[in-house]
Amino acid sequence: MAQATYLEAIRQGLWEEMESDPSVFCIGEDIGIYGGAFKVTDGFVHHFGTQRVIDTPIAESAIVGAAFGAALTGLRPVAEFQFMDFIGCAFNQIVNMVAKSHYRWGAPAPLVLRGPCGGGVHGGPFHSQNPEMHFVHTPGMKVVAPATPSDAKGLIKSAIRDNNPVLFLEHKFLYRRIKEEVPDSDYAVPIGKARVHREGRDLSIITYAAMVHTAQEAADILAKEGIELEIIDLRTLCPLDREAITQTVKKTNKVILLHEDTKTGGLAGELAAIINEEAFDDLDGPIVRITALDTPVPFSPPLEHFFLPKVEDVVREARKLHKY
Amino acid sequence: MATKTKTQKNSRLKPTVKSASSNGRPGNGRPAGKAPAIRVNQYGIPDWRLEQPEFEVIEVTDGPEVHYEIKGELSTPVPPIRESKYLTKDQHLELYRWMVMNRRMEVALENLYKQSKVVGGVYFGLGQEACSCASAYALGPDDWFAPMIRNQGAQLVRGFHARDIMMQYMAKAGSPTHGKDGTSHYGDIEKRHMVSPISMLGDLLPVMAGVSLGARLQGKELACLTWIGDGGQSTGVSYEGINFAAVRKLGLVLIIESNLWAYSTPMEYQVNVKDLANRAIGYGMPGVIIDGTDACQVYDATYEAVERAHRGEGPTMIEAKLMRMKGHAIHDAAAYVPKEMHEFWRKRDCIDRFQKYLLEKKWLTPAQDKEMIAGIEKEIDAEREFAENSPMPEGHTAAEGVFCEDGCHTIKPKYGIPKKAKRSEGTLKETEAAIHFK
Repeated sequence: MAQATYLEAIRQGLWEEMESDPSVFCIGEDIGIYGGAFKVTDGFVHHFGTQRVIDTPIAESAIVGAAFGAALTGLRPVAEFQFMDFIGCAFNQIVNMVAKSHYRWGAPAPLVLRGPCGGGVHGGPFHSQNPEMHFVHTPGMKVVAPATPSDAKGLIKSAIRDNNPVLFLEHKFLYRRIKEEVPDSDYAVPIGKARVHREGRDLSIITYAAMVHTAQEAADILAKEGIELEIIDLRTLCPLDREAITQTVKKTNKVILLHEDTKTGGLAGELAAIINEEAFDDLDGPIVRITALDTPVPFSPPLEHFFLPKVEDVVREARKLHKY
Repeated sequence: MATKTKTQKNSRLKPTVKSASSNGRPGNGRPAGKAPAIRVNQYGIPDWRLEQPEFEVIEVTDGPEVHYEIKGELSTPVPPIRESKYLTKDQHLELYRWMVMNRRMEVALENLYKQSKVVGGVYFGLGQEACSCASAYALGPDDWFAPMIRNQGAQLVRGFHARDIMMQYMAKAGSPTHGKDGTSHYGDIEKRHMVSPISMLGDLLPVMAGVSLGARLQGKELACLTWIGDGGQSTGVSYEGINFAAVRKLGLVLIIESNLWAYSTPMEYQVNVKDLANRAIGYGMPGVIIDGTDACQVYDATYEAVERAHRGEGPTMIEAKLMRMKGHAIHDAAAYVPKEMHEFWRKRDCIDRFQKYLLEKKWLTPAQDKEMIAGIEKEIDAEREFAENSPMPEGHTAAEGVFCEDGCHTIKPKYGIPKKAKRSEGTLKETEAAIHFK
């Protein structure tokens, strides 16, 4: 065990998988000699060689298409989006070529699409987005969004080993802000399993990625008032861990759904529907959604601050729901 | 290493003319000297055609009516077939058989449609059989291909059966996709190495580049053949795919079928160049123009491109000039095509001309031809019967197969990763980057 940042943990996971499995290779923009815009693949090209760390033209559809083609020959490509916002450029390739491949013609697509998403870094409308719901809504894709270094390492390994296309969302706000003990040994975190981040009896917050830490801060404040939050970190957004979602609602009977993505069509709506289907009778209060505004991600710090869900929003809504 | 790559890149900037001449491989013992010299167009792109038709489709507004007219010389004689440098006599005959099989199968599909046995529409490659069959026929046994909707002949050449295509159109349980998808939208990565197309055009180009890349990582240089239309190549992903293949010298063999009509839009309103092969210059790869109705030209050009791919020298762009002789799909009567234009190309029918060529060479007698066609008809009848007898899929199977799970596939490198000397022991170092996004 050694301390590692969220970014370092992803690098370790990727590095270890490339060491142990020669069919894993990386492809993306500026990932070779430069080591990637955020340096996730720094040093990889020197160690693994130019054949396995491939710099591409600025062409996201070509990156995904080439990764898919290579996957058809039995390899396990890991394609980097320099920023997840640019996944829009490869939308057709992902949604129509890759995701439908196994269903339509029985060709598995064991590839990982990874890269930084999320706001809070004043990246503006094109360097801050959370594009998960486009792909949660695409049958055939798995979507993973870790919140901690350990999960980031364990999930990148599982994503690489999975026989399906996995969208691996790295929250860039967390890259170098959080650090924890990360197992050195070969371990993996299963896709499709949520995690209880904090146990609590009074009400549940179901969330993922950077918002897990927002929820944690709120929980620390509320604990002083005697309100004990249970925090569920979904870790995988597709397929969802319906059991974990239902279980926490049955336990606390009150639930807040929190995400950094915008509200309309966000995951919270889907979670609310699942709770309605599976645990309606267990609810002792309304399902509350806390999300970003239904706007593009604004650039200027005061605007972005206003746009994003904050600790005080969670504290306020939790107090209200607790009293309900 | 880096310097070497750089040098190769630079030397690749002017390869076009050389690549189109003979690549030095003996043409199966037959003298190759008979064919006329190869012409080069104003941009230095070799043009193997034995005629260069000069005409243009224009939009004409006539009172309240708007239609297309064709202007130019349409009475020129039908050109001969260019002698193949590579095909043996037997190969000519086998290729001819595939082309006839391609056409007869599509006639059978049309009949199934008329009997209301097809779900949805039917797409035809009428007039494009040489382009589909002769190109696929030039591939090596391990090479990959990804057909477009009009390349049904290529699927036959590469080992699929007419029944597979028929069952796809009839949405049967026995179809390669078990009813999950129709038309040519199927594939096989195990044996026949066909990548399934999707309806969106151009997306196959980076995918086929990726197949070549994946094989190269495993120590194998593959030719990856795909086709695209003068319409399809307009998409942005086409550029991305071709450029990536060129930059990394991947084994993409791209046939641009300039079939003059993208659904109902004539090529003149699709691109502002006369020869799409000119674009090869912009990508930094060899380009060549051929007569897509001449099976020998299609075979020879593809053969040379495949050889290049096998040598790891990179992609080739082949522009095949021809015309789509039916509508976009069966519902489309193609009334927008000027009659005299259709007539011009009908006289250049790829199968009629190839048949005449073989008869004149006395490689085929009329009796043998008749017998061969009867054999094909019989085979197609049996295929159709098989397809018709396949059941429709059970509704509940719609829920299956979204994910590859529970061991449904074992994934391993197809060609095996070659063992390499271990690189120096590296370790992960702490990093600092993208400071402005911290």
